[in-house]
Amino acid sequence: MSYLEEDLKTALRREAAPSDFAERVLSRLNQPAGPEPSWWELLAVLLLPPRLQWVALSVLFSVMIPVAGVQYRKQQRMRAEGERAKEQLVFAVRVAGDKLHHVQQRVLEIGRMDTRL
Amino acid sequence: MKILWSLTLCIGAAAYGQALDLKHLDRLADKASNVADVTLDGSLLKIGAKFLSADDPDQAKIKKLVAELKGVYVKTFTFEQEGAYSEADITSIRKQLQSPGWSRIVGIQSKKNGENAEVYLKTGQPGGGLAIICANPKELTVVNIVGKIDLDELSELGGSLGVPNIDLEKAKPANKKDDH
Repeated sequence: MSYLEEDLKTALRREAAPSDFAERVLSRLNQPAGPEPSWWELLAVLLLPPRLQWVALSVLFSVMIPVAGVQYRKQQRMRAEGERAKEQLVFAVRVAGDKLHHVQQRVLEIGRMDTRL
Repeated sequence: MKILWSLTLCIGAAAYGQALDLKHLDRLADKASNVADVTLDGSLLKIGAKFLSADDPDQAKIKKLVAELKGVYVKTFTFEQEGAYSEADITSIRKQLQSPGWSRIVGIQSKKNGENAEVYLKTGQPGGGLAIICANPKELTVVNIVGKIDLDELSELGGSLGVPNIDLEKAKPANKKDDH
């Protein structure tokens, strides 16, 4: 028999329950149930020392949400500025193109008139 | 240190000097019924070009055209009545265009309808540039482009697309601050 089997056998050997075991179980069952905890008691449980991670998460979120908001607004403003610059650029290039085209047409007209003369 | 400062100032002045000084035209805004004032220098021009869509054929053309530009300045004034601007307003621009590098490639004067159109090109220096002055009794347009530009492509854009119906509101001091 290996040591492992022997250990298992020792660990799983049958043991008799203590003499007052049945009595203790019955007395616990007969005890009246305590009052239902209120919602704020349940909420307060979150703040108990073992749940400090929730506090840490809350702090983290309360910092992250405003930062994300500011970042989002900054991005929106940049996009609006970019769109405005684009519109102005398209307008400026088209005005320039239009005027240059107009001058070219006038030069061609004058050239045609000269040829006729 | 002083030499370094002087050198920095000289370089700055040279870079600034590439664009024409059109500030004296701003006073015409009060007399005009319609004003379009576009000032797009280095960073703003790049941002604007970045927002142009490569999928839209017209915008793609403009994007290609402005790729090497350093500044685009347009001032257009439309007046209800004749004589709102003076010859001195144009002469002041012409004087700036007499500086080295600039040469007038087209000059049209029509005595019949009082139209005056001039096209100047800046060559022989790094960057290049274009200036257009179009004036008739009720309208004055000045265009200044700083940087290398293909005239054929620019003219093609004007011929095929025409001036868009963008409602650029009458220049306000607040807007001007934004532009600069």
